[in-house]
Amino acid sequence: MPKLVIIIISAVLVNNFVLMRFLGICPFLGVSKRVSTAAGMSGAVLFVMTMASVVTWLIYHYVLVPFGLTYLQTVSFILVIASLVQLVELVLQKLSPALYKALGIFLPLITTNCAVLGVSVLNIQKEFTLLEATIFGAGAAVGFGVAMVLFSGLRERIDLCDTPIPFRGTAIGLVTAGLLSLAFMGFTGLVKL
Amino acid sequence: MLTAVIALAALALLAAFGLAIAARVFAVPHNPKADEIEEVLPGANCGACALPGCAELARRIAEGKADIDACPVGGESAAHTIAAIMGMEFEGGAEREVALVLCKGSDQVAAKRFFYNGIYDCNSAVLVFGGDKACTYGCLGLGTCAGVCLFGAIDMVPGGLAVVDPEKCTGCAQCVAACPKGIIKMVPASRKLHILCSSHDKGGVARKHCKVACIGCMKCVKAAPEGAITMDNFLAVVDYSFEIPAEVAAECPMNTIIVTGDAAGACEEPAAAAGGDA
Amino acid sequence: MGSGRFFGGVHPSYNKGLADSSAIVEMPLPERLVVFFAQNLGVPSQPVVKKGDEVKKGQVIAEAGGFVSTPVHAPTSGTIGSIDIYPSPVGVDAPAAVLVPDGKDEWFEGCNVERSSEGLGVKKIKEMIHDKGIVGMGGATFPTHVKLSPLAEKKMDLLVINGAECEPYLTADHRLMVEHAEGIRDGASLFATVIGVRNVVVAIEKNKPDAIEVMCKAVVGCQGFSVEAMDVIYPQGAEKQLIYTLTKRKVPAGGLPMDVGVLVQNVGTALAAYEAVRYNRPLIQRVVTVTGSGIREPKNVLARVGTRFEDLVKFCGGLEGDAAKCINGGPMMGVAQYSLDAAVTKGTSGLVILRQEEVTQFVSDACIRCARCLEVCPMKLNPSALSIFIEKMRFEDANEYNVMDCIECGCCAYVCPSRRPMVHHFRRAKAEVRKLQRKTG
Repeated sequence: MPKLVIIIISAVLVNNFVLMRFLGICPFLGVSKRVSTAAGMSGAVLFVMTMASVVTWLIYHYVLVPFGLTYLQTVSFILVIASLVQLVELVLQKLSPALYKALGIFLPLITTNCAVLGVSVLNIQKEFTLLEATIFGAGAAVGFGVAMVLFSGLRERIDLCDTPIPFRGTAIGLVTAGLLSLAFMGFTGLVKL
Repeated sequence: MLTAVIALAALALLAAFGLAIAARVFAVPHNPKADEIEEVLPGANCGACALPGCAELARRIAEGKADIDACPVGGESAAHTIAAIMGMEFEGGAEREVALVLCKGSDQVAAKRFFYNGIYDCNSAVLVFGGDKACTYGCLGLGTCAGVCLFGAIDMVPGGLAVVDPEKCTGCAQCVAACPKGIIKMVPASRKLHILCSSHDKGGVARKHCKVACIGCMKCVKAAPEGAITMDNFLAVVDYSFEIPAEVAAECPMNTIIVTGDAAGACEEPAAAAGGDA
Repeated sequence: MGSGRFFGGVHPSYNKGLADSSAIVEMPLPERLVVFFAQNLGVPSQPVVKKGDEVKKGQVIAEAGGFVSTPVHAPTSGTIGSIDIYPSPVGVDAPAAVLVPDGKDEWFEGCNVERSSEGLGVKKIKEMIHDKGIVGMGGATFPTHVKLSPLAEKKMDLLVINGAECEPYLTADHRLMVEHAEGIRDGASLFATVIGVRNVVVAIEKNKPDAIEVMCKAVVGCQGFSVEAMDVIYPQGAEKQLIYTLTKRKVPAGGLPMDVGVLVQNVGTALAAYEAVRYNRPLIQRVVTVTGSGIREPKNVLARVGTRFEDLVKFCGGLEGDAAKCINGGPMMGVAQYSLDAAVTKGTSGLVILRQEEVTQFVSDACIRCARCLEVCPMKLNPSALSIFIEKMRFEDANEYNVMDCIECGCCAYVCPSRRPMVHHFRRAKAEVRKLQRKTG
């Protein structure tokens, strides 16, 4: 149990996927203009990451290892993630067309979101159990969500400022992201995993 | 090797099967024509069609709820392509319209009645006695229309006057809505003769306020074909359903009437005239 | 009755000493008068005279255009010279009649006749107040009969007679209280009868001790009347702030004083209503404080509605030295005039003329988020955020931040170190929000 708590804290804060590992930067910059869309994206990523953690763990331990096919790890993981993203897309289009429209191209791009693949691979590398892998996947997604919502909130405020023209848009966004990342360094040493 | 192929194929099959079921369960009725039409539309989401965005218009057209030439920005070329997608004939609809600022009174020629030091925006300026120009009908020249133009078709010439470039103008009419003075009008692109004044002041007053104002002398009315130019409360107004010969412009003693020649004529001429009078 | 203190507010230099001891003087008839047809907030009145008509003093020249509207009367007898568009002192061009006085100053039949106000029904009093064109004379010019008709389900329990006059420079209400205390008191009891309340408070800021003394004497022996001396702070005289100071009741956002059972009327309105009912006199003249360092003899002038500012200035000895700015109303909420062609309306409480050295043309800067405006905003709004939203044309956000509750008192602009034109921004936003609301129904 203490280990699970440590895993969560580690995934959300100390080793935040976006701000400390610099994975999943694409949607982090792409859909962070409004808090509402950022939160929607985080929800989709939460689902995909958690499911991907479970399914890839199962596939690795019950398919790839027994058949000695561990070299197929990356290919099979991407297959799983792509399928899950397709599923989310179908569901979202049906249940929330507005969010589907707002996320646009970034929704199918979760497939290539390295944070998702990163979680799956780290699960194997760190030799987590299935429960730990699930918690780690969910925690990483929550960490992604925290970063997204914080960042989009900042960007909404920046929209109201007179940014010098060369810095407008993505430029000031990247500067802000860097500062946010520096701030998250403050969590280093909180837990050790 | 074989195990690898079989294992991956099995995984893929499983995923495909799952997705197939999901696609059935979460199916959304979808019109492929709408996507094709959206490709054709300009994608500026300018709102000229009075619908929220190009995607919505595309959906309406595909469902037959909107005309194929409903997008004024895309114009005829878009209408033709959409007609092809919809399997319909396009007979050529209304003529392309462009925006025109019916004022020629830059600071060089138009008098000011006070010094305005407020917010640099026409809609704000108009709250203070209707603006600083002596002529209460004229262009305030603070560039609100240029700010809303998504196509960069409106230039603010020196001296504070908005001028529309008819080549760049797509006819979305956003500037018409933005202008607090209501002096931007949509006119057929093929018509070349325009009376650039909106002042309903009597001749003497108008002349005092602005060197290029319409003073209601009616010379152009007499020179033009019957009914082509009419008087509306001391202001000569062009009826664009008529073809008016360019010579009529020479009749105007105030130099208010312009004839836009080829290409960028409309953009250059008022600016040049304003500069000449200064 | 608890004496609270509203949130925020500022202490501008009041400069009331210029005119507060000079008695009200009646101005002789000028050569011509410019009477605007729209003299009240709400629906503009409909003109019923045309060029060349002979009118008598007090004759109706424009009928009420609806419920929230009042008639306009001829301020003297004479001929209607012309009807045209003139710059009105509140910042819009509006139709007005030019009245050339014949010098006889003859009353219209039935006007200026003393009659008993005893035993008049509520309906009759309200009708008289409407017919005589009485509007709020503090500056807002809201038709008084509308204010006197609160919704039946609102329980009214207090009438406040507003003699705060917190706007710097102005002393018109001050002099009115000193010289016409009885009339104000009788007007107040008329209002109290109409809305059926027993308690009447005359609220006066402490910087007018003579007015407080006179009012106190005037209300001796009147059941339910009291005089309250209030701290000197701007905007003490704003309706919602005044109510909070006196009763600690908060008028809800977007609500009216009647939502908390209070009616607020200006002292000038009370006097005008009394004269309308008692003497059948329409509202055709008012006290205007002509003051400021740019005027030779600052005075409180009893001027006809329609008196041109130029004539007012002439009557007060003309401009002094390098007079540079003329403001209709006080310096906080007034509107700068670009010419002296504008004329007195029912809402003109003062004319402030400033010299060049007192007038600075500011260049406004970006908001530095010092939050001084938040500390002084008496409506507890966030002017800083609002002005930024409005600059970015985000009017829906501004509406969400309650820009519509702004009372345009100008405290935020007064304290802004970046000299931002806050009130101008808010007026713009209010216009845009109203447009949006109309669009969405």
